[in-house]
Amino acid sequence: MDVFFMLLINGLAEGALIFLMASGLSIILGLMGVVNFTHGTLFIWGGYIYIATYNRTQSFLLSVLAAMAAVFLLGAVFEKLFVSRVYGNIPAQILITLGLQVIFTDLVRLIWGATPITVARPDFLAGRWVIGGATIVHYRVFLIFVGLLVAIGIHLLITKTRIGMVIRAGVQRPDMVQALGINIKLYFTFVFAGGAALAALGGALYAPLTGSMSSTAGLHNQVLAFIVVVIGGMGSFLGSAFGSIFLGLMGAVVAWFVPSLSVVANVTLMALILAFKPNGLFGLAVKK
Amino acid sequence: MKSLLKIEDLVSYIGLYTILQGVTMEVNKGEAVVILGRNGAGKTTLLRTIMGLVNTRSGTLALEGRSLIGRPTYTIAKEGIGYCPEDYGVFDELTIEENLKIAMWKEDKETLQRRDYVLDLFPDLKVAYKRLSKTLSGGQRQMLSISRSLINDNKIILIDEPSKGLAPVVIERLAHALQEIRKHTTILLVEQNFALACAVGERYYIIDEGRTVDEGRMEALMSDKALQSRHLGAI
Amino acid sequence: MIKQQFKGSNKMNLLLLVALLLAMMVIPHFAKSATVALISRIFILTVYGMSYDILRGYMGFINLGHALFFGSGAYIAGILFTKLDNTFGIFILVVLITIIYCSAAAFIMGKIVIRGGSVIAGAMITLALGEIVRNMAERWRSVTGGADGLPFSIPPIFRDRLHFYYYALIFMLVMTLILRQFLLSPTGRVLLAIRENEQRAKFLGFNTDKYKMIGLQVSGISAGLAGVMFGVFNRFANTDLLSVQQTLNALLITLVGGTGTLYGAFVGSGFIAFVQNTLLNLRSQYPIFERWLLFFGAMYVLVVLFMPSGFVGLWQKLISEAREKKKGSAVDAK
Repeated sequence: MDVFFMLLINGLAEGALIFLMASGLSIILGLMGVVNFTHGTLFIWGGYIYIATYNRTQSFLLSVLAAMAAVFLLGAVFEKLFVSRVYGNIPAQILITLGLQVIFTDLVRLIWGATPITVARPDFLAGRWVIGGATIVHYRVFLIFVGLLVAIGIHLLITKTRIGMVIRAGVQRPDMVQALGINIKLYFTFVFAGGAALAALGGALYAPLTGSMSSTAGLHNQVLAFIVVVIGGMGSFLGSAFGSIFLGLMGAVVAWFVPSLSVVANVTLMALILAFKPNGLFGLAVKK
Repeated sequence: MKSLLKIEDLVSYIGLYTILQGVTMEVNKGEAVVILGRNGAGKTTLLRTIMGLVNTRSGTLALEGRSLIGRPTYTIAKEGIGYCPEDYGVFDELTIEENLKIAMWKEDKETLQRRDYVLDLFPDLKVAYKRLSKTLSGGQRQMLSISRSLINDNKIILIDEPSKGLAPVVIERLAHALQEIRKHTTILLVEQNFALACAVGERYYIIDEGRTVDEGRMEALMSDKALQSRHLGAI
Repeated sequence: MIKQQFKGSNKMNLLLLVALLLAMMVIPHFAKSATVALISRIFILTVYGMSYDILRGYMGFINLGHALFFGSGAYIAGILFTKLDNTFGIFILVVLITIIYCSAAAFIMGKIVIRGGSVIAGAMITLALGEIVRNMAERWRSVTGGADGLPFSIPPIFRDRLHFYYYALIFMLVMTLILRQFLLSPTGRVLLAIRENEQRAKFLGFNTDKYKMIGLQVSGISAGLAGVMFGVFNRFANTDLLSVQQTLNALLITLVGGTGTLYGAFVGSGFIAFVQNTLLNLRSQYPIFERWLLFFGAMYVLVVLFMPSGFVGLWQKLISEAREKKKGSAVDAK
């Protein structure tokens, strides 16, 4: 029972982190038909900026906000300068975002060095509860809380605001959105940058969890997010939420019982789901 | 009468294909103009070219003297053009309310008055106001599409084959609504249904193989059987 | 007259090819050993690039896990040479096992990817697959040496750099012929048809999924064999050979060389091997080039933005423009 509870918390916390990446990825994919291969890079930029700010200011909130703001701008620049040039050309989009990923990942190594840098958890989140045989790390509970908050936030954004209306409409008929006098490009930039900021939030929260940040963490987390987007159904927000939780829980369980299999488990799961439901669990397939 | 939309020798292309090969027409303020022509004549492409959704190669295209060529679609719409595409262009994942709301440029008193006006015009929409648009029938979608194009103070609305795929009863209701709308709005209508075209249009243009080949007053076409069979026999 | 011209240009091409071959045969006797090694590398990378071109150029499929074939080939060579023996017989075994392994891997990859259908899903899924294989290699220390890599000794016959140069050349020529034959075969034609218009190929009654699977198999096996040669050449395998970076190399080869041309892979791999070499050499003088990937990535982005059809595409465009001009002036003269 204790183990069950612990795995539940660990799994949900992991799921929350994946969700921060996957949700942005999924919305960008749904609205613009773009797979953003820079997402993992934006994630580590978030992590590194968080650490750099935290080591100077010792303020958790300020560091998280700084990471998100800076990467929001970076995302906007990516979209404006590069991605917007190749809308509609899927191979070029994939290639160009991959190239940016290479450059900006190496830039991280140039600025902060190739070896991982460490950071401590902020004091108010550093504790743990011991309940019976299970240890519950405060920070993980905090992650679940943040994940939930972000999910609710995105849900409200999509269902209640004008931006959300444009996103829902643009997924289906971007040309018609334009024909109503709406500059959809502006929304594209905003959504891309917003997704980047979420990835940065993921990176900023990931660093204190593992205690360090390395330039290779980006790709690893990006792959997890991709798997979530694929199994959740490309472009489906709900799918990315459930996919993240699912993957997080499974990761926690496998890591506990058969750690040697944890690398292959995710992909096996993805393969199985695709074998039975080629469009993913929430089948809003983007056939572009 | 004041000229509103002026098109001269318009040539437009999609990829390697030139679709419009020289369209010339004029729509005056307050008029209801119908575009007739066979399938594939370029009628839909003409409307899409006006909206900037298809590239223009040469010619002029201007609304109240302001050129629309080479401009992004959303700025063309902002000039005061409402557009109802062939497949209605209704957003399925939005409610009817949201479909109207997303089109509003501002939510002032006039806009809300116009909204109430279209809801009175199409009571179906009022009944289903909070429902997702994907639950609507074809006719209701068309009504929503037209309502949406009227929600802003547009100078002209472009409607692409509203009767397509609709039952005769529904077409009749649509004709009444369009007759009502044209009292205060300029309409450019693409239509293959001759009855609907007659009910709404004052003047017509006929397009064939991407060119305007004939124009005139609707009464002339209605009364002249020879003219009808010459053009509409081919329609 | 057109036919004559065509024949003429064909003859020219043939002559050029023979000249190039001759040059390649004598070069090692005059060049520095570093150059010989560089060109050997180019030969091997050309095969790797061609294997990628089958996917991207002929099937319109962006495989971001392609390095898993290449790297696995190198690892299979390394593992068998260390665990068994470093003889030529084992080399034959390495080749056989690589073929079987890559065929199986391509089968699994194809089963997952081809059903999904879209280019986007394919790219995402193959990236995940490639990363998983790299991860496994990194963790399976007892066999692969983990992150440190796997140095190994090779059969004596391959040890001489000059001899190996010719083996690499022969390898490239043989693989070029095989792949050319494959693409000219009815199967290859169907692949081309699928790229042009998959729907139409389906309507014509072709089981497009089956053909894509065959294409992926051929591509995977070729990449695996290139990996074997690369492993033998370096006498070393590490996880970099399985990384996204290595897949990007293949992508860049086809980008620079142009897709759908097969021969472009030679130009492409020559270009990137040269650029990498230069960047790595600059590293000893300017510390900034420690981060040579920065420049590599920048070049890559520029190529995507401004040279979408690559050098070969650019060259063909120039030639056809020149021809048009010639034709134009000939008409004027009349």
